[in-house]
Amino acid sequence: MTAAAHPTNGLDETVHQRHRLGILTIAAEAESADFGYLRQALDLTAGNLSRHLTVLEDAGLVQVSKGYEGRRPRTWVKITAEGRAALTAEIAALTELVRRHDGAR
Amino acid sequence: MTQHDAGANDPASGSFRDASRDGHEASQRGPAARNSEPDEPARLLSDLGRLRMQARSIRHAYWLPLVLFGLVIAASSPFYLATLPSPFGGVIWTGTGTFAAFSGMLSGNATGLTIYWLVTIGAGLYVTWLWYRRHGRRVGLMTPARGFVIAGVVVGVLVIVLPTLQVLPGDLVVRGTLPFLIIAATLWVLAWAERSRALLFVAAVFTGTALLASLYNVENIMYRLGWSASVRFSTLPNILLPALVLLISGGCAFVVQRRGRAAA
Repeated sequence: MTAAAHPTNGLDETVHQRHRLGILTIAAEAESADFGYLRQALDLTAGNLSRHLTVLEDAGLVQVSKGYEGRRPRTWVKITAEGRAALTAEIAALTELVRRHDGAR
Repeated sequence: MTQHDAGANDPASGSFRDASRDGHEASQRGPAARNSEPDEPARLLSDLGRLRMQARSIRHAYWLPLVLFGLVIAASSPFYLATLPSPFGGVIWTGTGTFAAFSGMLSGNATGLTIYWLVTIGAGLYVTWLWYRRHGRRVGLMTPARGFVIAGVVVGVLVIVLPTLQVLPGDLVVRGTLPFLIIAATLWVLAWAERSRALLFVAAVFTGTALLASLYNVENIMYRLGWSASVRFSTLPNILLPALVLLISGGCAFVVQRRGRAAA
């Protein structure tokens, strides 16, 4: 087995972080996900979630749009095509890792 | 790395909270090192799968379009009652509207039936779209419902145009139940948008009954089962069977989705 073929080489530093993977997973399930829902589902503080979103947005993996519903501010997170591709690649790499671990047992 | 709020009731929070410390330590070593723990990728995949299913469950709201279109179909029944008994004991059906697919050759009120379907399907698509926007804002996850509306409009136009081009088999048009297939097409798109196997199953069953209602006199089946209606009501089984499929599945979906949200 060559190093290049190892599935860990398919892991992306930006995506391969537990909470950022969680954000992408939830965002991929919907047209857009609300900041409040992500915060609750991932059990994060608003500050931490904001930081993760900034990383993902800077990498072009999500789009963040802010607006108001009445007087209530709402932030919606939408996964981009690049984000979807990155998530798919990450899941594939993790699945391959699990398969190798299981095979080695 | 992280500092967490309390979230003990959140099914996903435990695994994400517990794993965050490990993730912080591992993040100092890079992804390869992080996955050197044999069970870590498996646990991560499991947690992500749980998040995905939770989001999907909360997002599901298809009970309303099922019930809505079930009621729309059921309410169309009066248009399908036979009006003119023939001297030969059968029924003379009158009128083929401009949009033959919406009225077929069976209605005594072809214009009324055409208007009924155009208005109710259009309104139904719009109400469903509004419903999904409202539900999405409430739960914090938006469903891509635009495709559902677009599919309804596209299939609706096809249903209007194709009979005039005479490319559809006459049997499919003659009973005036082709609008059911517009609803069936939108349900397939909705099942894709909702990523719901249950709705996919409902769409398949409804498509089957819609085709049956368009191609066959369901009354014949009812007669064999011992139900004999007067000629005036002979077409009602063709209307009520697809309506019942939607109403029953919509009712079941309502209960399941309500329980699912309560559990989440």
